[in-house]
Order: sequence, then C-alpha cells, then structure tokens
Amino acid sequence: MSEFLLQNLNFILPFFLLILGYSAGSIAEKRHYRSIERREQKFLALPAVTLKDVQDNEKTSGQLVIGNAVISIDYFKRALAILRNIFGGRVASYESLVDRARREAILRMKEEAAKAGAHIIVNMRIETSAIGQSANRKKQIGSVEAIAYGTALIKQA
Amino acid sequence: MRFHPRPANGNVNVPKTHPLAEMAWLAGGLFVIIAVVYLLLTLLTGWVVTALPVEAEVWIGEKILQNDPGMPCEPLQKRLDQLVACLPQNSSLRHYPFSVRVIDSKYVNAIALPGGTIVVFSGLLKEVESENELSMILAHELGHYAHRDHLKRLGKGLIFGAASWLIFKDGSQPLLMPFAEIMEARYSQAQEERADLWGLDLLNKRYGHVGGSQAFFSRLLEKGDRGKFAHLLASHPHPGKRIENLVRAAQKKGYPMGEVQPVEDDIKAFLKRYCNIKQS
Repeated sequence: MSEFLLQNLNFILPFFLLILGYSAGSIAEKRHYRSIERREQKFLALPAVTLKDVQDNEKTSGQLVIGNAVISIDYFKRALAILRNIFGGRVASYESLVDRARREAILRMKEEAAKAGAHIIVNMRIETSAIGQSANRKKQIGSVEAIAYGTALIKQA
Repeated sequence: MRFHPRPANGNVNVPKTHPLAEMAWLAGGLFVIIAVVYLLLTLLTGWVVTALPVEAEVWIGEKILQNDPGMPCEPLQKRLDQLVACLPQNSSLRHYPFSVRVIDSKYVNAIALPGGTIVVFSGLLKEVESENELSMILAHELGHYAHRDHLKRLGKGLIFGAASWLIFKDGSQPLLMPFAEIMEARYSQAQEERADLWGLDLLNKRYGHVGGSQAFFSRLLEKGDRGKFAHLLASHPHPGKRIENLVRAAQKKGYPMGEVQPVEDDIKAFLKRYCNIKQS
C-alpha cells in the first residue's frame, strides 16, 4: 500500500491538496461570512459614506480611520481559477475573496471609528492590491488585500 | 439628507453557483477537449507514420543512436536474422536493416528504436531460459516494427508535449500529465498485446510450434506481482493477461505446443564477456 502511494505521489498529492483546500477553504469562508454578517448588523447605526462633507451644525472633530484585511486563496480556488483561465468568464472562485476582504476592511475601519466615539465616517475610500503577484504561478501564495480608510467625525462635547 | 441604516438584502458580488458544480463543468469540458485533440493527434500521427518511408526512419534512428550506442550483439543478431528469414518475401519488414544491441541495465525490457535497431537490456538477457523465449521476445519487437508502434509513440509524444506546453506555458502542465500518462499507458498496452500476437505467428513459422511463448511471462508473474493498480499505469499489460491472450490465440489458430530448446552457450559467453568489459 505504502509502495503504491509513493509510486503515485504525483497523482495523489494534488488530489489530496484539492480535497484539503476545498474542505478547509469552505469551512473558513462560511465562518468568516457568519462573522461579517453579525458585525455588520452591530455597526449598522454607524454609517460609512463616500461623501466628502456632510451638513452638520454641531461641533465635530475629524480623525483618520483605517481598516485592512488580507485573505488568501486555497488550492481548490486556485485550481478552479486555472481552469477558468483556459475558458474565460467570471472567476467566481476569486470573487468571494475580494468581497470578504472588502467587507472585513470596512468592518475593521468601523471598529476603530466606534472606539474613537465617531457617529459617521465620511470620504470613505477602498483600495485593493494583490499580494504575491501572479497568484496562479506555482510555489507562490496569492492573497488579496483590501484597505478601507475615511474620516471619522466625532461630536465635541 | 437623512440616513436610514438597512442591512443589505443578499449579496450581488458573490456568485450563487456551487464551486464543486463549476469545477465539474470546467474539468469535464477540459477533459472532453483533450480527449478530442488526443484522438485527432492519434489519427494524424497514425497517418503520417504509415506514409513515412523506411529510409527516413533509418535516418531518425541514426540520430537517436548517436546518444546511446550500447554494444552490438552477434549471437542475438544471428537469431534475429533467422526470424526475419521466416518472413514472407513481400513483407514490409524486409526493407529494414535490422540490428540488435545490448545495454547494461537491471530492467527486464527491450525497445524497438526507429530504423530497425532493437535494444535488449542485459537484465532481460539474464532472465531468459530457452531459445524459444528469446525468439518470442525478438519476434514481439519485430511486431512493433510491423505495426510501426515505435514511430507512433515517438510522434505522438512530441506533438502532445508541444501542445500541452502551448496551453500551459506557465508550468501548470502537471495538472494535465496524469491524464496523459493514463491515456498513453492504455494505448501502449493495446500495442503490446498486438505485438505479442504478431510475435506468436512468427514464432510458429520459425519452430513449427509455439512452445515457450508464455514461459517468460509465467516467470515474471511468479517473481513478483506489483498489484493490480500498478498495471493501470504500466506500459505493458499484466503478465497474467498476456499469457491468457497468447494461450487463447494459440488455441484459436491451432498452433501446437512443442519442446523448448535450452539457451545455447553463445549467449552466456556474450553476457560473460559483456559483464567483464563493463566491470573493467
């Protein structure tokens, strides 16, 4: 049995990694989405808007708030994306990564703003970057980073 | 402007398709495309190979031999010439300048190279116990020439390698290789079976019976069975299956089973001399 495994390592290893990537990746993704939804509900009353200025008669002070998140791809998602690269079309396996990174970054930014006692975040901007360029290359770890920043407005007493 | 906080209704940014369903569609599609390309290549190389003149094949063979000459083997050459003499006058194999060379290797195998050079591994030579077995092995290799298998494999390997390199330039090629290997192994197993049957006919012409045609495989079977699964990927069929096919073919064609002749001394002397040269 062990001899068979060793002889066919070329076939078994990618297959094992695919199963591992799929199971671990989907468990992590489900848990992350549950956490995102719970925290989004919690911060629902703290709006983050892209407007540069809001009409506010009260005395307020501003503060820069930043949140960022890096989410990694797994073996299964990468295999799916490689296949997608051949046929073209929507790379669905990567879309959930970008979505998670973006929402997580906003949530972390809101957490920071809430700590400072802000009632609104204005002029919010979101940027993304790929860490480990060309994520489809062998032996390279591909991750997506999202960074959200804005100005938290805090009411003065 | 008043702000009304509301939770998002659903998520437009994440697709609803299940990742496993997407994987099944994409992998299935790729499988079908590769299978079609592979079939077309098989047909194409089959056509090119049958049209290729023997002279061109000899030229390719000379190029290959420059890399690994091995050692010409006079005793085996004599036996091969006797086998070729049994072929009909109009046989296409008559155009080949056949030669036999021996390479020092522990593997029990023989290869038919383009241009009529048969390479026998010394490991195989040590295993042989009768003249009839030896003739069967040489006849089997002649069978590859008759079906032009050696060229088909060479041509298809080249085209398939080039094609997969073109699709996956970035080194994702290993994804495809297991598939190619299984296909190739299956195909070559079919070739080996055909060569076995062709060799059986020639053996009957040479000795008037087919005694010893299966003895070699029987010993392989006894010595070590690597398990059923290993043969899925092996280039040769399971020895048990080869014996079965040979027995069935011999019965169907009414070939008698005669007495086998022990290996003559010239082969043993060659092996001894060859091993001495290697050691010194």
